[in-house]
Formats: sequence, structure tokens, C-alpha cells
Amino acid sequence: MKAEKGKTINYMKEKRTVPEALKEKRKEDAKIKKAILKSLESGEKTIPQISEEINLPTEIVTYHIYSLRKFYEVETGEIDDMDEYFFFKLKKNK
Amino acid sequence: MVDKNNQTSYDVLVIGGGIAGEESALNLAYSGFKVLIVEKDLSVGGKMIHLSKVFPTLDCSACITTPKVSETARHPNITIYTYSEVKNITKLSEQNFSVTLVKKPTYVIESACTGCQECEEKCPIIVNDQYQWDLVARKAVYIPFSIASPRVAAIDIENCILCGLCEKVCPADAIDFTQEIEEIPINVKSVIIATGFNLFDPTVIDRYGFGKYKNVVTSMQMERQLVPTRPYNSVLRPKDGKMPDNIAYVLCTGSRDETVGNPICSQVCCMYSVKQAQLIMGALPMADVTIYYLHIRAFGKGFEEFYQQSLSMGVEAIKGKVGKITEKENGNLIVRYEDIREGKVKEAEHDLVVLSVGILSNPDVKAMFNGNSIELDDYNFVKQVDELINPAKTSIDGVFVAGTASGPMDIPDSILSAGAASSETASYIRKHQVESSK
Repeated sequence: MKAEKGKTINYMKEKRTVPEALKEKRKEDAKIKKAILKSLESGEKTIPQISEEINLPTEIVTYHIYSLRKFYEVETGEIDDMDEYFFFKLKKNK
Repeated sequence: MVDKNNQTSYDVLVIGGGIAGEESALNLAYSGFKVLIVEKDLSVGGKMIHLSKVFPTLDCSACITTPKVSETARHPNITIYTYSEVKNITKLSEQNFSVTLVKKPTYVIESACTGCQECEEKCPIIVNDQYQWDLVARKAVYIPFSIASPRVAAIDIENCILCGLCEKVCPADAIDFTQEIEEIPINVKSVIIATGFNLFDPTVIDRYGFGKYKNVVTSMQMERQLVPTRPYNSVLRPKDGKMPDNIAYVLCTGSRDETVGNPICSQVCCMYSVKQAQLIMGALPMADVTIYYLHIRAFGKGFEEFYQQSLSMGVEAIKGKVGKITEKENGNLIVRYEDIREGKVKEAEHDLVVLSVGILSNPDVKAMFNGNSIELDDYNFVKQVDELINPAKTSIDGVFVAGTASGPMDIPDSILSAGAASSETASYIRKHQVESSK
């Protein structure tokens, strides 16, 4: 099959199928991302606060929130009064 | 890939683009030899490019590596193939090796990609970022890391959902899903093995809880937390993002341990742990750092002074063998250890534990050779057959070894070893040129 420039994805689609597990993982990751971003719409929060609000373990929130920070969707704010947890907020002017 | 001349014959093949491979290649290139570097990863720079600082000088590791990387990439006598491997290395005669170069597809046209990261922004898939040792995610299409060389995107096809967004948004038309594995036959006069080392996988020691307890991390994960391009904004606990204030190091994790099949000392763990302890005390001035050790092996120039400096900064060193780590509900960890000086079993609570993992051989090298099998030593490193007189010489005449492919060593020793390998390689080629001209 000769692939058209700019549409070479069609060539790959002929060759490969996407595993169901990968599709499920994408949905799950998207759900977590949406929940974290929605939680931050109401203001700055720490990881334990987000975790409690969206009912997910703190390690999952830590992984996702720092990934969102890497992808410039959230940013870190000040540290809390106990010098333990940083606050996170939605990134302005992405 | 940086293929300057589309050539298939080179004087020297250097396998591995880490610090030892680059040093060997540069020495030979400046002597007029045509060198081909083959690197299996997406970028050259090896492990050193990912480190924070070097011991005992605390110089910035990336600041030392990146000029070397640029110099290698720009040198007219050096050709680099990244994301490529070699197989079927066969010695046909003196100064005549045939090799098959295997170039894996990245699905990105390297010469077209500008590294703009538009594709990365649009990609909907996240995967563990191997260059941040899984502490955060990357996308399925990604630039390996900010100072990668070449700094171009690659598509992780195993994790791609074939949405085609990357191809749609790429302003340079650099995405090409039609790429296939290429096998390129080449001929070289000599080979340098600079395949580096693997780090010990601490999941093997179940009682330390790595993988089960998120606040038990490896020294490489801590190293990443200490670099400017770190995954977090500070040194933090992966379990909950809390700033730790009581950190423990467990030395000899996977080294000097017959039970995990690695009885030898890794040579660098004591000093990199001491280095990290000092850096942590700079990053978290209120934190306590405890090092559990069997023996502190501070054998190099300035190493003992460096260790003493860490003690004077407040690092606590306990001569003790850690038996088990358990987790409390709040994520803190109970370290159960034998206090060797007092002869007692004790327990201590820490909120983050760093496992100082050891150095293992890279087993890939054995499969690269066809016919003339390369000999390995008792620990599966490349055997130095004449260690005292010709330290780079291997069991195949014309094949030399550089850096940690021959055994655990620190960065200065790797560079020295690379110097020896390049010198012996040059002698080998010149010697046979002289003999054949007689």
C-alpha cells in the first residue's frame, strides 16, 4: 500500500490493531485528568485535598498532577503552613 | 541518526553512545579515523546525561556531558546512528569485520523534525516516562528529554492508539508511519564495546518493598529529583507529594550480595549516596539523612574527605544491614536493621527510603557477535584478557572494551578506560596498516 503524504497513519492502521487494554487505559487516564482539572477549578488544592475530593489514592493523584504540570496544564503554588504539601492551580495562559 | 556520507565502511565501530563511547570516538576521530557510533537509545549521552552532579567535585553532570555530546554529533569523522543496534559482528580477517546495523523506526523523519513538541501536546496517550524513571508520564509521541541529542520526536508505537493527531498537527510533515526496520550491512576495521551497565532491579529483593511501597525509591529516581529538569518541583515523596524530612539510604542494594547473584562491589554507590545526601541537605535544609552501610568505600581521590564533609553537614551514618522495610498507614517506612557496632536488631522510622542500587553487566553484548564469540568474565562483564598490560583488549583481536562494559567504575575511570580503548584501537589499525604495506 502506498501511503499518501500527511496520511501515513492509514498505512499503519492497515498493519496494526490497537489493543483493547490500551483503549481502556486511555479512557481511565482521561477520566482522572478531567477529575483533577475539575477539582482545581474551585481553587488551589494540595494532593491530599484533591485525593479526598475525587476519591483516588494520593499516589495516583501525585503521578497525574505532576504529569499535568509537565504538560503545562497545572502549576505549583505555595507550600502549606506545615511546609509539607504544595498547592496546585490551573495554568493560566497555557 | 547523523549519517554524514551515507557510507558503509568505517575504521571503527563504537557500540554505545555514553560517555565512554563518545570519549573513544572523539579521540579516534581527532586522529583521523572514521568512526561509527551505534546507540540503542533515542539519544546519545548514556546514563551520565541524566545525573545531577558528579562526585566528589559536585560539578553539574549535564554541563560536562552536553558539550561532549555536541562535539561528537558535529565531528566530521563521526557518524551516529541512534535507536539502532548491531548484530552478526563477524571477524572475516584482520581489520575486516562485517556487521549488520539494525535501525529501528521512530516514525519521525529526523531531518524534518524541529523538536517543536506540537505533536506531544496533542497526543492523548500518557505512558510512564522512562527518562524520569517512571515518576511522571510522557506522551506516546515524545522528545526523549530536553537535552537529548538528536532532539527530535519519536513515536512509541506499542502505546499509540493510531489517532493520527500527531501527523495532522506536525507543521514540518515529519511524521511517517511507513517507516520499517532497516538492516544495513557495514564493514569496519575495529570495534569498541562501550555498552555500559544495567542498574540492579530492586523488585528482586521483595523485603525492601520497592514497587509495593511508593516511598521506597531507587537512587536513580532520587537522582532525577535532584536535577534542574526534575519530575517534581522539589524533593518529594511519590506516594503523596509530601516534602520528606527524614530520608534513609540503604547501601549495597543488589551489590556484594550472593543471594541476588551479584557478589561484587559496584564501586560508585557509597559515593553517589554521599553526594545525594549532601544535595538533599542543600535542597531540604531541615531534613535528616541517614545512611545505612556495610562499609564506606571511599577509595578515590578526595572521596574520604567528601564523606567526612557529609558527616560534618549532619548526615548520620549507621553501620547496619537492613533486613526489611515495612510501610505505615501514613506512608512512613519502618526500617528494620542490624546495628553492626552494637550487635542489636533495631527499627527506625523514615518518611522516604532510597535504595542505592548496584551496577550489573549489560548482557546485550554477547548476542551481538556471530562466530567469534566474545568472552565474558565471571560476572558477565566483557573479559579483559590482558588487564594489566592492555586493559582494553578482549578475547577477539581488534575488538576493544571501554568503560563499564568491562566492570563497575566511576565516570573519571570510564573516561580513562575510553582513552585506553581508543589508543589501543588506533595502535591495532596502524600496526596492521604498517604490516600490510611491507
